[in-house]
Amino acid sequence: MNLSSLKNANANEVAKLLSARDREAFIKRFLTLGLPHKKTEEYHYFDVEKILNKEYKTLEYIPKTIEDGDTIKIVDGIVLSAPKGLRINYEIAKQLDIMHFDPLYYVGHLLSPRIIKLEIDGDADIKIEHHFTQSDTLINYRIVLYNQANRHATVQENFVSEDISNTLVIYGYDMHIAQDSTLRVVKLQTMKDAQYSMVASHKINVAKNANMVFKSFDFGGDQALQLLKVELAEHAHIDAGHLLYLNEDSKRGIVSQIIHQGEYSTSKQESKNILDGQARGIFDALIRVEHSAKFTKAEQNAKSILLHEKAYMVSKPQLEIYIDELEASHGATTGQLDEKQLFYLQSRGISHLEARKMLVIAFANTLIEQVKDTRAQERIKNAFEKVFYQTNKE
Amino acid sequence: MSTVMKIENLQAKIGDKQILKGLNLELEPGKVHAIMGPNGAGKSTLSKAIVGHYDIEVLGGDITYKGKSIVDMESEERALEGIFLSFQHPVEIPGVNNAYFLRTALNAKRKHEGKEALNAAEFLRLMKSHLEMLNMKSDMISRSLNEGFSGGEKKRNEILQMLVLEPEVIILDEIDSGLDIDALRAVSEGINKMKDGKRTFLVITHYSRILDYIEPDYIHVLKDGKVIKTAGPELVPYLEEHGYDGIEED
Repeated sequence: MNLSSLKNANANEVAKLLSARDREAFIKRFLTLGLPHKKTEEYHYFDVEKILNKEYKTLEYIPKTIEDGDTIKIVDGIVLSAPKGLRINYEIAKQLDIMHFDPLYYVGHLLSPRIIKLEIDGDADIKIEHHFTQSDTLINYRIVLYNQANRHATVQENFVSEDISNTLVIYGYDMHIAQDSTLRVVKLQTMKDAQYSMVASHKINVAKNANMVFKSFDFGGDQALQLLKVELAEHAHIDAGHLLYLNEDSKRGIVSQIIHQGEYSTSKQESKNILDGQARGIFDALIRVEHSAKFTKAEQNAKSILLHEKAYMVSKPQLEIYIDELEASHGATTGQLDEKQLFYLQSRGISHLEARKMLVIAFANTLIEQVKDTRAQERIKNAFEKVFYQTNKE
Repeated sequence: MSTVMKIENLQAKIGDKQILKGLNLELEPGKVHAIMGPNGAGKSTLSKAIVGHYDIEVLGGDITYKGKSIVDMESEERALEGIFLSFQHPVEIPGVNNAYFLRTALNAKRKHEGKEALNAAEFLRLMKSHLEMLNMKSDMISRSLNEGFSGGEKKRNEILQMLVLEPEVIILDEIDSGLDIDALRAVSEGINKMKDGKRTFLVITHYSRILDYIEPDYIHVLKDGKVIKTAGPELVPYLEEHGYDGIEED
């Protein structure tokens, strides 16, 4: 399959190309948005045409019996194992967003009408491992997650790939965080260069008095973009943190829209980016406060460190506000490592490389330490160090 | 006199301004050398030149340490060889844990000396006695390096690093600035504990107050980028009475 064939297709052709039946509203919305290209605002800084204009093999998604296991293990879009007692099954997607800003959200759903449905109806700590094993392949799947009322759950996501190349992964979540519940998502992604590109398009509904914590740690190579649309009801809260550490010529980042719909809803979004080599980082984030969202609090901040003169960070924090009764702030800074701090460490006999690493970790630590589970913190720090030393040698 | 460090005709600039203009100084092993002088004389520039600070460009002359020129050495190499600067204004580094920093520095030194690295438990045992001696709270090593420390805490932390790293030449740049009497006493005790007849101290100061606590063997007066006089501790009361303008050059 070559996704660029969707470029000028009409509704019938889209339905045929994606084998999508009975999805008129989706197709209509996709046709309104169009296939993303380099002038599409959300993909402006991302080589989307490079990954769409390729011929990929496609997979048949035939569900298998889900074995008992410690983690939810998803291999090339098929769930192979899950902890006993967890409610996970396949079904045709309902309750989907028909006003998402991302065209690939619709491509993902049209490609994957049968979603993986995960219902969390107890306080739980769930680990999800995504495995990719196929080269030159389009891997697509979507997960719909329901966190039931009054439940407090954590989801830790990891990504594992075999020695593959030229694969495109289009996946994402539709998350429904029910009233008075809390969902914490910790996403850690590391990968070698040129293994696979990824577009992860999410939609998160946070209901009244619910709380969403979304922390993503992206130390990957090649290309990946997360597109996040969040809707906050009355007294709902999201705490989003994104840490990027990129090197060589990778292009990765986040495009997000956090929409305050309910009164007294609050959002905090923090992005920290460390870029080396010729990497490009993207933080293109909008917070919109609608007329209905009086007494909102919104806070958005992006800080970036460039470790190389050719590294480049696109930082676009934006506020779109339609009311007066709110508290909102945003800001972005980009700089280099502090020379005085580097010298101080070196003056105690610490090598330049180690001193750089300590400062970079220090910069990242405020986000890593927001992950409450200390074992998860260690895993993130270790993953960071591993990637750091791969490209920084004495 | 034997020397551990010899500075010959040192000329150095910061930015476009030449600060050191042919400075000569010899440091005798095991002795306390005090450098005194008016503002702008070049005292801090001298300390920075010795440790290889990035601000400093050496225009001429040489600094030899144990017979080897160090002017082209990286700052971390100088530190590993045993040169230590206690900073006048220690920098704050949020996010770098103080204990992690100290252990990394100590283990870098031990590796340089061909010794085994200390594990976390061994390191904490070593810390405990030092902290007690400096009257430092134990939580100070679990905090971020110098972040939110008071002036006195920062200086104590500098001395703690000195005790841990056991350098051979110790430069104390305005160690007494911003310290109250109790802090000055604790810091001085730490310094005096390190005096073993082998270590050499270069105490850079505006005022003679610190010299009541750390007894100097030599006083060097620095003016306009040069050492203009070297004498024994008897020079201190003279300076207090007459100031630097009354000094006759050697």
